[in-house]
Amino acid sequence: MTVRDTGLSGSLDGETPEWERLARGASGYGVSEEEPEILRELLVFVLNDAPYAIAVERVREIIRLREITPMPRVPDCVVGVVALRGEIVQVVDGRMRLGLELTPPTRRSRIIILHGDDNRVTGIVVDAVDEVLRVSEHDIAPATTGHGGSVVELCKRGDEFVSIIDLDYVLDLDAN
Amino acid sequence: MAAKKTKRKPARPSKADLEFVAEAEEILERMREELADLADQRSSGREVDPDLVNGIFRSAHSLKGLAGLFGFEAMGKLAHHLEDVLDSLRLGRLSMDSPALNLLDESVELFSRLMQRLGKSNFESEAQSSVEELVARIEASLQQPAVSSDDFKTLDLDPSLLRALTEYEEHRLRENINRGRHLLLVDSTFEIVAFEEGLSELSGAIRELGEVVSTLPSPGEAPESQIRFSLLVASDLSCSEVTERLDFPDTNIRLVIAGTAEASKASHVAPETQDSSTPSPPVADAPVAKQPSVEESKADLSAGIESLKSISDTVRVDIRKLDELMNLVGELVIHRSSIAGIAERLAADSTTRRAAGELSKAQNSLGRKLKELQASVLDVRMVPLRQIFEKLSRVARRLQRDLGKTVNLKFDGVDTELDKLIAEKLVDPLMHVVRNSFDHGIESAEERAQIGKSAEGTIRIEAYQRGNHVVIQIEDDGRGIDPTLVRAKAESLGLVDRDAILTDKECLALIFAPGFSMRDEVSGTSGRGVGMDVVRSNLSDMGGIVDVTSKLGRGTTLTLTLPITLAIIQALLVGVGKQRFAIPLNSVLETLLIDCSEIQNSEEKEILNLRGEPLHLRRLSDEFGVTPSDEDRQYVVVLGLGELRIGLLVDRLEGQLDTVIKSIQGPIAQVRGIAGATEIGDRGAVLVIDVSSVIEDALRRRDAA
Repeated sequence: MTVRDTGLSGSLDGETPEWERLARGASGYGVSEEEPEILRELLVFVLNDAPYAIAVERVREIIRLREITPMPRVPDCVVGVVALRGEIVQVVDGRMRLGLELTPPTRRSRIIILHGDDNRVTGIVVDAVDEVLRVSEHDIAPATTGHGGSVVELCKRGDEFVSIIDLDYVLDLDAN
Repeated sequence: MAAKKTKRKPARPSKADLEFVAEAEEILERMREELADLADQRSSGREVDPDLVNGIFRSAHSLKGLAGLFGFEAMGKLAHHLEDVLDSLRLGRLSMDSPALNLLDESVELFSRLMQRLGKSNFESEAQSSVEELVARIEASLQQPAVSSDDFKTLDLDPSLLRALTEYEEHRLRENINRGRHLLLVDSTFEIVAFEEGLSELSGAIRELGEVVSTLPSPGEAPESQIRFSLLVASDLSCSEVTERLDFPDTNIRLVIAGTAEASKASHVAPETQDSSTPSPPVADAPVAKQPSVEESKADLSAGIESLKSISDTVRVDIRKLDELMNLVGELVIHRSSIAGIAERLAADSTTRRAAGELSKAQNSLGRKLKELQASVLDVRMVPLRQIFEKLSRVARRLQRDLGKTVNLKFDGVDTELDKLIAEKLVDPLMHVVRNSFDHGIESAEERAQIGKSAEGTIRIEAYQRGNHVVIQIEDDGRGIDPTLVRAKAESLGLVDRDAILTDKECLALIFAPGFSMRDEVSGTSGRGVGMDVVRSNLSDMGGIVDVTSKLGRGTTLTLTLPITLAIIQALLVGVGKQRFAIPLNSVLETLLIDCSEIQNSEEKEILNLRGEPLHLRRLSDEFGVTPSDEDRQYVVVLGLGELRIGLLVDRLEGQLDTVIKSIQGPIAQVRGIAGATEIGDRGAVLVIDVSSVIEDALRRRDAA
């Protein structure tokens, strides 16, 4: 395991606590007993200064950016593979996949590792991980336009909208 | 294996069924081997090894117990009758040429068939009727009179001893006398406290010289603290020879009957040593080391369970567990290499140099032990090809019937070992190849007679190990393959351009093209156009390769080359530009450092003069679109698979490592040229090159002139 360069969560024994902490914070842990019915949990991350989200159930862990071994003969957005405790996992660059402007990674860059059946565990490089958002269904509206079908829904967060990504579409790279 | 078979079925058998199938399959597999041996021994005219018959009997017995345990009545019944036949056989009530023996194979096949239908709705009734039918035939074939129990009264033996013989022992006695062996009685006394040890030592020594027909305690004239045993022994050696070689205290050997096979010089009889005072106790109670294989057929329930337990001292292990073990070993290997890295860094600093030396020493001995561990785990995964070849000969027997061709299937190197996983994957491709030889290769008997070949065709399958690969050659003496016909057919199927220039060898290789078939109409055997291309793709999945050579009118040889194991490999680490790749070392023939000026061009292809032979070169940087470093000198990694060779140009050689190839997870399932990846210590992931596809692509590019 790589040694952390900054101590965002201060935890040494893994990368997961970071978003667990985020999740706790978002749920208002121990603050209120009378919450509205929670229907969806979203992990919000940042790409090109804009908020995006995916379902929390799809997230296995979040790791710091580490050395990515380039892979030949794959679409450009598959930037390579990383070794993850004995597993070798392909990593997709979020900006590239969504057709956004490319910038060099920063200290806040993360790889979100997604669950995958049947050898389909995948990493996505994002600019930063923001929070876990608990929203009820009426805060979510279908997206009328999107990045070529990648964004299916929008979720209201305060004044702004978070784009919810259709992972099945985004990761269907064999067909594209 | 069992799980694989049952997977295709629409109706799923229960978990218990699968357990039964897994266990029964193993027993059946063993029985098939044993029956094949039995057939061999019978046809060779040699005396059939009694232990072999005992072995088959035990297999049938286990099968019966198993079927009973899982409540499969029909199968239990079949096993029961099988056991009966074998019991009669080992007791000599049934002669070796009884027609009942021919039904043994059939019974085993019926078992297999039934197991495949397990879980189907009408399974039990179907099973019932097919078993009933076969059992009736078995019973009918057993109706021949039993061999009459002749009298041993003429033998110079104590009648009480004779009475104590079991039926099996009587049979062995008779058999040995008929074979003209010397019959000896070995009397020995042992201290009661240690008799088991002494007796087994004595029996062991005697077995080197002959067969122990029976071991009976004779409590006659022995002192209190001692126990006497009489061992009835049959041997080709004379009494004096046995006496000479058997050097045991308190042991008396006498001749009971001289053998006829050899003029008996030592016909000296010493009757005064026998004791007729007390009858020997029945064998069942005797705490003696009998011939280990003998067991009573009429054993009670607990004894039956006992014998089931003692049949085998092997453990069946799910191959996935071995994979896990292998992965763990692999990870240990990786950790070891990081320790080596730490030692290296410490060695660079003068203050820690001493500790570094010790660390690297410890790390080295750890490495040696890990190698041993690796080798043992690998060894557990290995299975002899015999099992696969057995399957092939069954298929061959069926093909002979279906096609009406007489073909002699010969096997060589049946003990060559392969990783179980590869062996499993090899079955289908091998089957295809043998079928093709039957169908397309071997001519009909009439055709063969016309051109002066023997009516019986021959398919020879030879397996041998070459380095880290196993080579399997399938050679037939059939009509061979005509490259011009193959080409014409391939053209008509649109698989090759009309104006492509191909050598004969390249034309032959077209039989591996997807969709290729020589037959105009589809036959039941082969000719559906899914054959050789499947063979090739199956092999290349395993990192293997297939090659064909043929002489028109003389025959065809297919050569399959595959790695012995997929689990742990040694890899050569190479560098191109800023990147690093691993190449499985078992495909690397040699490495050379060359000056770029040595590279010659021929029709825009780069070649190297390698000791007078042209070696086709491929730049790894071109293969994978990597920017190479601008070096004057390049390394050539000579890759070889089967007969194929190419040279891969790389910037650097970075050393060797032991590694486990991991599959790459993610949205892109397969990348041509990449077999997987591996984790190297703290240096992250490295892609492992799929040598077979790189070679294939390079040669295809060369040929597409």
